[in-house]
Amino acid sequence: MTPDDIAEQLDGLRDAGKRLKRRPIGEVLAVLGGVLDRWSDPASSWRRDLEDRLPAATGFTAPMVGEGLRRALGGWTSDALRKLAIRELGPIDALDSASESRVSSFDTTAVLLAGAIPMPSLLALIAPLAVRSPVLAKPASRDPLTPQLVARSIAETDVELGRCIRIAEFPATNEDCTRALLEADCICAMGSDATIAAVSARVKPPRRFVADGHRVSIAAVATPETVDGRADLSERLALDIALWDQAGCLSPIAVFAVDAEPARVTALAEAIASALANAEKEWPRGAIDARTAHAIAQQRAEAELRRAAGRAVEIHVSDSTAWTVIVEDGPELRPAPLHRFVRVIPVPDLEQLLSAIEPLAAHLAAVAIEGFGDRTIGLAHALADRGASRVCAPGSLQSPPLDWRHGGRGVLAPLVRFTDIESTR
Amino acid sequence: MSADAHRAEIDRRVLEWIREPRWSYNEQRFEELALELFAFQFEHCEIYRRFCEGRNQTPAEVNAWRQIPAVPTSAFKEVELRSFPAHATTHCFRTSGTSSDVRGTLYLDTLELYEASLLPTFRRFMFPESLLPEDRALIRVLAPSQIEQPDSSLSHMFGVVLEAMGEPGSGFDVENGELLFDRVLTVLVESAASEVPITLCGTAFAFVHLIDHMARRGVLIGLPSASRIMETGGFKGRSREIPRAELYTELKRVLGIPSERIVNQYGMTELASQFYDSVIRGPSEPRRKLGPPWARVVIVDPETGHEAATGQVGSIVVVDLANTGSVLSLRTGDLGRAVLDGFEVIGREPGADTRGCSIGADEILGQSSL
Repeated sequence: MTPDDIAEQLDGLRDAGKRLKRRPIGEVLAVLGGVLDRWSDPASSWRRDLEDRLPAATGFTAPMVGEGLRRALGGWTSDALRKLAIRELGPIDALDSASESRVSSFDTTAVLLAGAIPMPSLLALIAPLAVRSPVLAKPASRDPLTPQLVARSIAETDVELGRCIRIAEFPATNEDCTRALLEADCICAMGSDATIAAVSARVKPPRRFVADGHRVSIAAVATPETVDGRADLSERLALDIALWDQAGCLSPIAVFAVDAEPARVTALAEAIASALANAEKEWPRGAIDARTAHAIAQQRAEAELRRAAGRAVEIHVSDSTAWTVIVEDGPELRPAPLHRFVRVIPVPDLEQLLSAIEPLAAHLAAVAIEGFGDRTIGLAHALADRGASRVCAPGSLQSPPLDWRHGGRGVLAPLVRFTDIESTR
Repeated sequence: MSADAHRAEIDRRVLEWIREPRWSYNEQRFEELALELFAFQFEHCEIYRRFCEGRNQTPAEVNAWRQIPAVPTSAFKEVELRSFPAHATTHCFRTSGTSSDVRGTLYLDTLELYEASLLPTFRRFMFPESLLPEDRALIRVLAPSQIEQPDSSLSHMFGVVLEAMGEPGSGFDVENGELLFDRVLTVLVESAASEVPITLCGTAFAFVHLIDHMARRGVLIGLPSASRIMETGGFKGRSREIPRAELYTELKRVLGIPSERIVNQYGMTELASQFYDSVIRGPSEPRRKLGPPWARVVIVDPETGHEAATGQVGSIVVVDLANTGSVLSLRTGDLGRAVLDGFEVIGREPGADTRGCSIGADEILGQSSL
């Protein structure tokens, strides 16, 4: 694909977008809602196609992909999309009528996808269309499949809407193609901080730039209540860790055990280890490259040395690098190699918990909490103040609602221009 | 035999090998010394002993140098690994890092092995055409002196090299943390004019700063053909980052030194011995890292912990007999691959995409130093 090809695609999308903008937004939302309903149906041909082909394309195992999609897409329905639109844009009927505000879409939206987890790609492609902006998407190198399937599903559902989504495949190192793509009117980019910074530097004003940087999640449990009284807690934590091989921004890298006696922390870690061992049987982790395996081995060896130095470090590992649970003896955060590597970190109280996660604040996505009783709301607000955009229960981290305001902002609202119409003479 | 006497005997035997004028990569000699040193360190470094016991890899179980348990170099940031009493510590070398980084520390009770090991290795791979101990060269070092940075093993190494091999006019060109560009350029211009070859040593990021400075000044210098460069280390946070191939192309452009005369040194604070690119010794052979007979590298499959298959990328583990005071077997933070009789270090692919959207804390740690 050449820069001229991309410019041509953008021109084509602008033309297609003129027809799209003439359609009532409620109608467009209904079409896309139907698309989502089919994606959320495990028996649909698109879903089966994705489940069949994603493992080979991304390296995730088939059972993990099946479970991950089942849990993530279950709630992504037409109702959820309508609810999302109303929440962020206002009553649907009012959007196309003469009212005191106007929601306008951009003529084109370019989406630069990243990573191999399909749900962010699905939502990133649906969202601009939902506000009637045609989409030109650059697939992630790790997942060339999902954007193609999503585009096909939309075209099969509504031919005219299908003309409003195009895929631009070119290497990320191709500066000329990237420059051509960034001629779109609205740019959505996913990726690491470095990627976001690089794209941001190339976006020419006055284009809208919407960034979804990499994020991290954690869990925090009050151990006296949870370990003794909730046997399934460890299974739910292990599920959150195991799905998508802990590569997603909703995957917890650490479980903070608050107000815990050492024996309970040990029991919690052992239970998580056992649950991860079971998860490995049910939803095996995908193959990892040497660099990732090296990072896991390195972190395990470091923990062994801390333990050898007399620190209260506990190590629970699989024979391979499939899963790792390390109990630390201090609140400091340490590198997280991901791929089912979790640290259990005891902290004496909520104040220490909040202090410990302070360094994560700029990158915090979600926090799963449990066992805090009447302290729950206060804790959730404190976590929000420290950057979390989602607080939920363990076991539901990987099933975010469609209208979760990822990164603390909306899903649709950043993709439109609002006009407030004041009274005039 | 007392611990001191035992250690002295091991040191003597290692030094004897290091000081032999002809290198011999004797496997049996290495095996015997490595196993003896392992047993000594197991006995006298309590943390290392517990580490080995935790893996059921004690001297009773280990019967080959490749099986000696390796500690990660990163652990030197958190634990004190020494095989001698703490009160006997005479030197501390610290890993480089920004002010917010936790720095690793190597504790030493003698510099004799370190200094003995570095000189013949430097000479062999940087000046293979002149192996006589009395041979000297014009050497400029783009790094601070050991007086300015007494806890830098690299500065100490350069100081030893300058003292042993530097002819008049040699010296350090970083003072008070500043690379003295004018002085460097004056020396380079003089070298070009007088056709006296020069050897430039320094950190990779210092060379990037030199290249950038020369570009700003519009200066290009054609150094004498026998000139050479030794560069080491990474760039992180100290300069713009460029791939090594690009660095070498730029160095050729601004200094006229071709990549066949640019040597990357692979060393680290935690190691007494270093490894060097083979290019000056064997310009027609594949570029690979080679080291002295008393330090060996094994590439380990990080998934299994066993030696990697030929050509497979794995963790670089160094077993260095000159590390008598700390731990001889170290698992570095780098990936590598065996190449002929040496190895190559595998860098991270620039812009490599990850499977997910988690930042993995490492990047955050890099930013906030937890």
